[in-house]
Amino acid sequence: MRIGIDVGGTHTDAVLLDGERIVASCKELTSADVISGVKAALTELHRQAGEWPRLETVMIGTTQFTNAVIERRELSPVAAIRIGLPAGRGMPPGVGWPEDILRELGDHAYTLPGGYLYDGKPLAPLDEEAMQACVEDIAAKGITNIAISSAFSPANPEPELAMADRVRAAIPDAIITLSHQIGRLGLLERENAAMLNAALRPFAVRVVEAFVGALSDLGITCPLYISQNDGTLMDARFVREFPALTFSSGPTNSLRGAARLTGLEEAIVVDIGGTTSDIGVLRGGFPRESNRAVDVGGVRTNFRMPDIMAVGLGGGSLVSEDGLSVGPQSVGHRLVTEALVFGGSTLTATDIVVAAERAEVGDPSKVAHLPKETVENALTSMRAMLEENIRQMKPDKQPLPVILVGGGAILAPENLSDAAQLLTPEHSGVANAMGAAIALVGGEAEVFADYQEESREGALQRAKDQACDVAVRAGGDRASLKTTEIEETALPYMDDGATRIRVKVVGDLARVPSAGEGKPL
Amino acid sequence: MSGQITLEMLDDIAAGAAFLATGGGGDPHLACLCAKEGLKAYGPARMIAPEELADDAFVIAVGAVGAPTTSLELLPSIDEAVRVVKAYAEIVGRRPDALVSFEIGGSNSLIPIVAAAALGIPLIDGDGMGRALPEATMMTYAIAGISPTPAVGLDYAGNTERFDAPDVQAYEPMIRRFAMERGGMAVSAEFGMTGAHLKACIVPKTVTLSAELGRFLRTGEGNAAEREADLAKLFQGTIYGPLELIASGLVSDYTSKVVGGFDVGEATLECVVKGEEPLKVSVKNEYLAVKQAGRMIACLPDLITLVDFETGWPINAERLRFGQRVSVFRIGSPAHYTTPEGLASLQPLIDTVQG
Repeated sequence: MRIGIDVGGTHTDAVLLDGERIVASCKELTSADVISGVKAALTELHRQAGEWPRLETVMIGTTQFTNAVIERRELSPVAAIRIGLPAGRGMPPGVGWPEDILRELGDHAYTLPGGYLYDGKPLAPLDEEAMQACVEDIAAKGITNIAISSAFSPANPEPELAMADRVRAAIPDAIITLSHQIGRLGLLERENAAMLNAALRPFAVRVVEAFVGALSDLGITCPLYISQNDGTLMDARFVREFPALTFSSGPTNSLRGAARLTGLEEAIVVDIGGTTSDIGVLRGGFPRESNRAVDVGGVRTNFRMPDIMAVGLGGGSLVSEDGLSVGPQSVGHRLVTEALVFGGSTLTATDIVVAAERAEVGDPSKVAHLPKETVENALTSMRAMLEENIRQMKPDKQPLPVILVGGGAILAPENLSDAAQLLTPEHSGVANAMGAAIALVGGEAEVFADYQEESREGALQRAKDQACDVAVRAGGDRASLKTTEIEETALPYMDDGATRIRVKVVGDLARVPSAGEGKPL
Repeated sequence: MSGQITLEMLDDIAAGAAFLATGGGGDPHLACLCAKEGLKAYGPARMIAPEELADDAFVIAVGAVGAPTTSLELLPSIDEAVRVVKAYAEIVGRRPDALVSFEIGGSNSLIPIVAAAALGIPLIDGDGMGRALPEATMMTYAIAGISPTPAVGLDYAGNTERFDAPDVQAYEPMIRRFAMERGGMAVSAEFGMTGAHLKACIVPKTVTLSAELGRFLRTGEGNAAEREADLAKLFQGTIYGPLELIASGLVSDYTSKVVGGFDVGEATLECVVKGEEPLKVSVKNEYLAVKQAGRMIACLPDLITLVDFETGWPINAERLRFGQRVSVFRIGSPAHYTTPEGLASLQPLIDTVQG
């Protein structure tokens, strides 16, 4: 059996799965230290299951790393080295970052000659002396978290690898993040991702230790995996190296969970919480990814993120007196004290659905006085907000099934335009923990190819091999890996044949023999 | 307007330039970041109106040429526009009295600002397109018969090359080849001209208009329909014809593919007003034409801009997708492109929407 846990900002959800079947599930409050909330959830699962079964794996999705960046907490100083001169003069690593987060990292930026051009020619030769001087300066400052980027490193990582060797030789305890291992094309965005990752690595070590400790306190010693933002897993060792790959894993898990709970692979998923409704699209059972640059805490990155539209409609959304305006302000987690049905004095979206007799929450007599017109106006506004945004997220004209998950699913009407069907599956409240529990292992790679010089098959194989290596590093079983996505983009204004190829592979976890497997709690 | 371009104005200029780019011009994010670092290093730039320029003054046009996709990895440098102007002055033997932009649409609106700031040479409030267009042959300077050469190209490493060509048709492939051989992106200084020549062919006041448009988009409220009247006012008294909201609707279909280095496609908009035929928007890097039931209702040289209905922010053609609720604005073309010579320069683009 396996356990899936989702640590959100407000709730920590957990499920215990026997194959496809949910044996136990629960929703606990997220604690300030995270760990006691996780322990509470595990203890509740144990209580429901009666006897602790034979456990194979525990999968955890967590927002801790995203929140650390957003709240500027737990970030370590970073030396950022870019190999790309003579291009980008006057645009050092950290350019365009908000000052407060740059201060946390210490603004230790180095730029050195080297890197490659789109056509594979060197941008400039490496400067051995400058590399050595840079390493010595970093050593003198005593900085051990290091991010290294170089121009076109996804196509040719040689300069990043050479720099890393030099750093390791001079600073034996260096913790190095190489940009080509973490991001896509787009030097600044990839470098930003590498810098955020480097800043989070000491925290990642503490987080993994705390999770392992919490599980071991409860007698669970099976392997631990953490969810990535694309709905795949990484093992505990990998998360210590790449904590930034957990960004945005929450919405991904809820989409993947919705797919499993309904058996649908092509659908719109609406996760309605207290403040927002997050709308995403399932394609082949995985979230459709965003093709835009994504800001994390004000820093522009190009992580593979699910394409999510957040609409300001949730259970706690404020409703105006005439009902014509709903959200985006919300009473959030204070819903249970401030909403009318709970004896409060704020008119919320939850009060509206109770007044309309569409849900039984709190005390319906507290909303009996609401004018019919207010209720109807608000229902119309809420429906319009969902329909308008679902329409924008839909990939084409065809109606798609719409899956409702999350605690606020009661807000949705019984039907929606553009919805082929509207489903609220059983256990929809813990869809995100379900998503964590069923995750696979994946890998992705991006290469540049010139089809006039290289066969298409050869270039695709090169991309697939790189993607498989990434997946195996994340804990995947090489034999089970399958290519799930091939994206070829011809480059505008470039010679015919110049193409960018992005490949993604997904497969099963490699069986890790574990001494503690199945130990009773 | 004569005055200063300060760091604080750059975001607004970039946003306004995206509006005038009619769907093209690339993502100005990197260029804006580079211009900001440039003005932090060099201070503000001085801007003058074309009429402030003496007839015998010497002006050159400065900007970037190449494939925007490669600049994802080949970062711009804050001093490259500065160096290409210096190189031009040295190679051609004359220091310019003023600088002017190739095109206001997209990244090229921002590149000459840094050179102006660093060198203390004023930037002319205006440009050579009034929008974004794909080739040097379509610049108003070329349409007026001004020779683009002698011209100087500068690559990422600071290497320069002088170009001499009999006409702009011969020059265009030379500078493009230079860019492609040097990492896909280069800056160039070209179209050396007198103040009198510039005044006869420039699309005037477009930098000021961009800044005003950007500020309007950032600070205003209301959807595109509600903002139409105020937007129209911004274009009143400018070189452009009137701005008009021609439709709002949902993108019900959009497909595009790369043909000969251009992003070519057609978007279908279902009108919000029931019973009306859907609109077809032709795209070739930029929005070129809008048809309804086979009838042309807007076409190049008019400017066609698609904006997000809720906010009025311009939508780059690369970002257009199914389900977006958009509004379509038509803005009358500056007179530069309605003359026989102006229309002839755009004929390759016009052919693609009529053929």
